[in-house]
Amino acid sequence: MVGYLARRVLMAFVTIFVIVSLSFYMVRLMPGNPMQYLEFQLEQQGNTDPEQIRQQVQAIYGVMPSGPLWQQYLTYIGNVFRGDFGVSLLNPGQSVASIVVSALPWTLLLVGTSLLISFGIGMVVGRAIAAHPDTVFARVMTGIVSFLSAIPQYLVAIVFIYLLADIHHFFPITGAYSNNTTPGFNWGFIASVIYHAILPVTSYVVVSFAAWALTMKGSVTTVLGADYVRAAEARGLGDRRVTRTYIGRNAMLPMVTSLALSLGYMFGGSVFIETYFSYPGLGYRLISAVNSRDYSLMMGCFILITVAVVFANLIVDLIYPLVDPRIISPASRRRTRPAAAAAATDVVDLANPVATKM
Amino acid sequence: MEFLKDFWRILREDKSALMGAFIVCVYVVVAILGPIVAHIPDVPSGEAYLLPSWKHPLGTDFIGNDTLTSLIIGTRPVIEVGIASAVIVVFVGVVVGLFSGYVGGPLDYLIMRVTDIFLTIPGLPLIIVIASVVHTTSPWVLAVILSVTAWAGLARAVRSQAMSLRTSDFIDAARVQNLSMNNMIGRQLLPNVGPYVAIHFLLAVTGAIYAEVGLFVLGVAPVSGTNWGIMINLAMNQGALYTSKSLLYLLAPMAAIVLLQVALVFFARALDKLFNPRLRVQ
Repeated sequence: MVGYLARRVLMAFVTIFVIVSLSFYMVRLMPGNPMQYLEFQLEQQGNTDPEQIRQQVQAIYGVMPSGPLWQQYLTYIGNVFRGDFGVSLLNPGQSVASIVVSALPWTLLLVGTSLLISFGIGMVVGRAIAAHPDTVFARVMTGIVSFLSAIPQYLVAIVFIYLLADIHHFFPITGAYSNNTTPGFNWGFIASVIYHAILPVTSYVVVSFAAWALTMKGSVTTVLGADYVRAAEARGLGDRRVTRTYIGRNAMLPMVTSLALSLGYMFGGSVFIETYFSYPGLGYRLISAVNSRDYSLMMGCFILITVAVVFANLIVDLIYPLVDPRIISPASRRRTRPAAAAAATDVVDLANPVATKM
Repeated sequence: MEFLKDFWRILREDKSALMGAFIVCVYVVVAILGPIVAHIPDVPSGEAYLLPSWKHPLGTDFIGNDTLTSLIIGTRPVIEVGIASAVIVVFVGVVVGLFSGYVGGPLDYLIMRVTDIFLTIPGLPLIIVIASVVHTTSPWVLAVILSVTAWAGLARAVRSQAMSLRTSDFIDAARVQNLSMNNMIGRQLLPNVGPYVAIHFLLAVTGAIYAEVGLFVLGVAPVSGTNWGIMINLAMNQGALYTSKSLLYLLAPMAAIVLLQVALVFFARALDKLFNPRLRVQ
């Protein structure tokens, strides 16, 4: 148990460490080093004191641009782990850390709400299809769901904006709340937040519930044919008992795994949706930073998106033993899960489009 | 031959898979022939946002260029990069997966932990960051960027299959003959994961097209030339979202992408049925 938890936590930290290192080297070693470009720009602006230039660059990137690379690297790592990502070029006087920290709640709200709603709808629809596969409902729904799951999310967002916000003004298209409300715990503000979130969340849900439904359908279909379900039915156990204890729990196992894998995909999708709806989350900040070549803000957003995904994965990993106790006991796993069975759960199958998308 | 017969039978039985295969073929033909038959004139041949007519079957864009022509010319870059990226994804995924599964031990453990890291990193934000730093116009570099995390899922899946194959009799027999590592991985293991790889190839194409078009729509990849993503990007930036006359110009490239994505997924499902007889019974 402790070993399992420790391994997961360690891996989460290693992943974050790798990402932070990657973000350091990416900006410095790629063609057109933006730090050198900034130094050059400052010189062009008539700044002649090299010491002053270096200090300005350090303020923006959080690193002294002179000195050996490994020294810059150590400073950078130290700064990032203390929460210092430098300052933003695009928003003078604001630290990257304060920008990304204020953006994070909006992304979590958007992604979290969308994930819960689409997961819920997907479970119900998927189970309904799998339980009675020969009905008209199941056939029509399978068609709709297969079609929806193949559509890129950003296209749905564009169509929604076009039809419901720009041509017909049913919904607002920019921001997370209306300007004439005061942020805080009051009804006007909360209502405005919900009103502004309806379109972005719907864009998410329309596409991603379909992927969940397909995954759930595949999962339930596999379990339905299993020997232990037939044995349970043969023993004369009640319908509810069989559905809950025997089918429900075993069908949920692969779903939890997909949940972890889909988180990265959900955060990726938030980049598009937030950008189109000008929703002030991390994805929107990332794209505005990219478009204005604000590299310190860009890296700050990217690191925080990754950290959010890593921690969400870690939480899923930590609750996984509650759903499948075999995972924490290597002895029982070796006995109950021979290599082939382990292989089957590792294979990302076709019925699982959530995990195969990026 | 037996294989092709089976394949044709499955396609004939499953109408949606047949449609999918047919549509994918049409796209490939358009991608190959498109730039030869269609040309965008230096001077636009119509007025802005014309409605469909015989001269302009899909109307015109914001400066009066024929939408259908842009759509046809825009097919090749999308398909080219999609296929190139899928080739890279499949190659890296299969090599890493087979090698890791075959060698086992601490090396396998190390490779799998690295793979896990790539599996956790959110792919799209990473692609956006790399694309913005590299700022390339080369389709090959773009394909490499799009593949940066996508190989990890395939590598894990292939490794699991290699591990269960490792203990099978024919591998034992091959090992007794002292075959080289290249032979073991290339001649003995590879054919056994082939079907899975074929399906994953199609899914990798859809994944790459999803991300590629997204990069152009967001304007992260350099907007030059003509492809569907650039068409959507221009439509949005030229104010097409604010007039109902632009509906066709905005929807045409979107429909082209959706149709291709749906066709690829349905085609992949037919392949899955071919290789997994278990699925045919259901």
